[in-house]
Amino acid sequence: MTVGTTYETPRAGERKGEVRTVNVGGMRVPYHLTLLERPDPYLDIDSYDPEADLMALNMGPQHPSTHGVLRVKLYLDGETCIKAVPYLGYLHRGVEKLCEKLTYVQITPIVDKNDYVSPMMNELAINMAFEALLKVEVPPRALFIRTVCAEIQRVASHLLWLGTFGLDVGGGIGGGATLFMHTFREREMCLDLFENLTGCRFHYNTHQVGGNRHDIPEGWDQKVKRALGHIASRVDEYEAFVENPIFKARTIGVGVIDPILAMELGVCGPILRASGIDFDLRRDAPYAAYDKVEINVPVETAGDAYARYLVRVREMRESIRIALTLLDGVPEGPISALKPVKGPTNVKPKPGEAYVSIESPRGELGTYVISDGSPNPYRCKLRPPSLHAAALLPYLAPGSMVSDIVATLGSLDFILGEVDR
Amino acid sequence: MMEGGLLFGNPWLHGLIMGVIVLSGAMGVAAYAVWFERKFAARMQNRPGPTEVGYGGLLQPIADLLKLLQKEHLIPRSADRPLFNLAPVLVVIAPLATLAVIPFGPGLVGTDPSIGLLFALAISSLMVIPVWMAGWASNNKYALLGAMRAAAQAISYEIPLLLAAMVPIVLTGSFRVGDIVAAQEGGRWFAFWPPGPGFFAFLLFFFASLAESNRIPFDIPEAESELVAGVTTEYSGMIFGLIYLAEYLHTFIASALAALLFLGGWQGPGPDGIHWMLLKSLLVFAVIFWIRWSWLRYRSDQLMAMCWKIFLPLGLVLVMASAIWVQLR
Amino acid sequence: MAFSEDIVRLCERFGLTELPDEGPVVERKDVVAFAHALKDELGFFFFVYCVATHYPADEKTEQPDRTLVTYRVRRLPIPGVRPTETFPFRLWVPTGDTTPSLTSVWAGADWQEREQFDLVGTVFEGHPDLRRLMMPEDWPGHPLRREYAIETQHFPWR
Repeated sequence: MTVGTTYETPRAGERKGEVRTVNVGGMRVPYHLTLLERPDPYLDIDSYDPEADLMALNMGPQHPSTHGVLRVKLYLDGETCIKAVPYLGYLHRGVEKLCEKLTYVQITPIVDKNDYVSPMMNELAINMAFEALLKVEVPPRALFIRTVCAEIQRVASHLLWLGTFGLDVGGGIGGGATLFMHTFREREMCLDLFENLTGCRFHYNTHQVGGNRHDIPEGWDQKVKRALGHIASRVDEYEAFVENPIFKARTIGVGVIDPILAMELGVCGPILRASGIDFDLRRDAPYAAYDKVEINVPVETAGDAYARYLVRVREMRESIRIALTLLDGVPEGPISALKPVKGPTNVKPKPGEAYVSIESPRGELGTYVISDGSPNPYRCKLRPPSLHAAALLPYLAPGSMVSDIVATLGSLDFILGEVDR
Repeated sequence: MMEGGLLFGNPWLHGLIMGVIVLSGAMGVAAYAVWFERKFAARMQNRPGPTEVGYGGLLQPIADLLKLLQKEHLIPRSADRPLFNLAPVLVVIAPLATLAVIPFGPGLVGTDPSIGLLFALAISSLMVIPVWMAGWASNNKYALLGAMRAAAQAISYEIPLLLAAMVPIVLTGSFRVGDIVAAQEGGRWFAFWPPGPGFFAFLLFFFASLAESNRIPFDIPEAESELVAGVTTEYSGMIFGLIYLAEYLHTFIASALAALLFLGGWQGPGPDGIHWMLLKSLLVFAVIFWIRWSWLRYRSDQLMAMCWKIFLPLGLVLVMASAIWVQLR
Repeated sequence: MAFSEDIVRLCERFGLTELPDEGPVVERKDVVAFAHALKDELGFFFFVYCVATHYPADEKTEQPDRTLVTYRVRRLPIPGVRPTETFPFRLWVPTGDTTPSLTSVWAGADWQEREQFDLVGTVFEGHPDLRRLMMPEDWPGHPLRREYAIETQHFPWR
């Protein structure tokens, strides 16, 4: 059985385009990835070879490539990492405690700031959980708008990732910066679309319990078509820009992820799909209007940083296609099931709990809410995909050089606002 | 060329005057190289670049210099003070000393000794010592890693650089830069004549000097996404500016040497002179920036592997080939 | 939402007959074996979350001060065989008591349990590296406990 395609012979004896897979619990997993050694993240550094002259290097929290304020303590032998210990919490804002304090209506703008690269997804995830708690049917027009917004946001998020990944492997004073500037130009177009729709460029607060706050303005669909068509042509340019021998030398075989380990850690999204697991919540557990459209899930089997790059670039194209398809079929009707909320305490679900997950650009973004019948949630747990992706670091860093750790960090694409919440 | 290669009769007077001219000229070129690079990079990235200071931001290098001069010069408490302060000065001395033997036109040279090229390559490779000093004295792990990488890289790439420079030396039979330029008279530039070894030697020299002057794709010692800023992590103010200046000077010298050794120096169609020399070296300079702003960075082990597995054998083959060509001619 | 047959059968084997949508309440002594069975027999490889919720002592229902720990795991779809499915299971942990850690089963439980220990104060027994994840190491109290009020307690950042 073949899963996806491969760009180079991963191991001897395998032809191009064909990857040997093995059965793990019923799933087909690329064989060469199951052979990876799993390093011990709890390695006792004191009992490590006393002859080795280890150097403890604190990477972060103020480091150009830790994407915000992650701190990783690296134990280096020369330039090879022996152990990596991430320290989180530099961006901890107590969002879960705030959710317990605020009412269901007030939470949306707070969670916007979690994954500050794709705020649309945060709003969608938390409001879908509240709707499940309230058992509200969202009108189809709102669902379509949500889905189109989510796909445009995915494109914007992946564009930002591509730019910052260029910074990581190419440097801020070099070719990486050129890539960064170009991807940001196209990301601006996505933000302009959102500004047109919601009035905000970034923290939209456009989803509300039961539907959307903003209807599609006049001529917005034409703007979306023009912008997305433009971006689709630019994506080809990025591919031409990025796919040179240096980029391949820096990414192929770097940060190879065992899919079984990734699943145990709860990592999903493009990272898992780059490791040969064909899983996408949009297709496998459709929410919003994703059941109205066919979704092709890009899968790669090499599991390295280059495979993740390929998956994300293909996802961008796929998202553009989905958004354009759905835009043509937006039905008429109301955009919210509930009347406009007069007071913040008007939304009161019955006691119970709900878990809803969506496919954010980084993986499964879930919200688990427990209600006790009061206007604010009793417990609101946000399941950030980034936290789980960051948990891969202690497994990926040992044995690789500092440069590779930076490339791996970049390819995992975690957002510290979401990791620390 | 003038009589004895001297514009002013007395060699001391000549050296003094030319030294002032060449040094201030090179400093100006280095300063405006920064402006040029910023504009160039900005155009590549859909930005206007510096526009505010002067017409088209032309006074930006001066404003930057003034800013750097006004900045406080911070020295970390744990740093080795004398070494920390000495290193940037020594870093600048190496490229400035190299400039003494680089002719920019017929006679426009501080001095043109018979071992000029050897002197230039030797002095410019001395830069690794103050860089290592800076990395060590900063007492910072990133600076130390950067200095380690810089030392490894500079020492490795010195060999292919020398081997590439050997090709024009073998073809000319002289170490004197003036002789090498003279041997390329009549458009027989070593990059294109003899066909074969010269061109590859030019490419080899170009890439090895990219690595020598720590430019992308070989800017591993300062790799700001990995090592923050490498050896310059702890430096601030004008003393940082000195290291920065040395880098640009080094790049400029590398491109000037490439123009002299392989592109015919100041000779060209029409009247010979400094304009051809500046044009050619700035062209090479621009190509370096072009590469810098469009390529990504190699990893240090890949860089080393490339040096020892590709560049070094290629250099040896090229020297042999040019020697055979000289013998057969 | 009903669970698949094989899950129901597994739960019966562990004496869990009540299967609400929120998931069965598993005995603390059984949970590691239960988790192993879920992962190894039913293919629940994917770790979704671990949440601890603090419930203070309630005089009306005479419940002691306790914590509800919820795990949720997922199995990925196999084309033509089964769709993707999540399965939650819960544990009640009285305050002052510990609960077994599931880090040995799912590596992802590591940071999730650390986070819950940090924010709610649940102690996971057998966890290889139980440190605070989000808050500073010397932070007093556990912010997500009900008695930790935002208004009254304010610690300036040190």
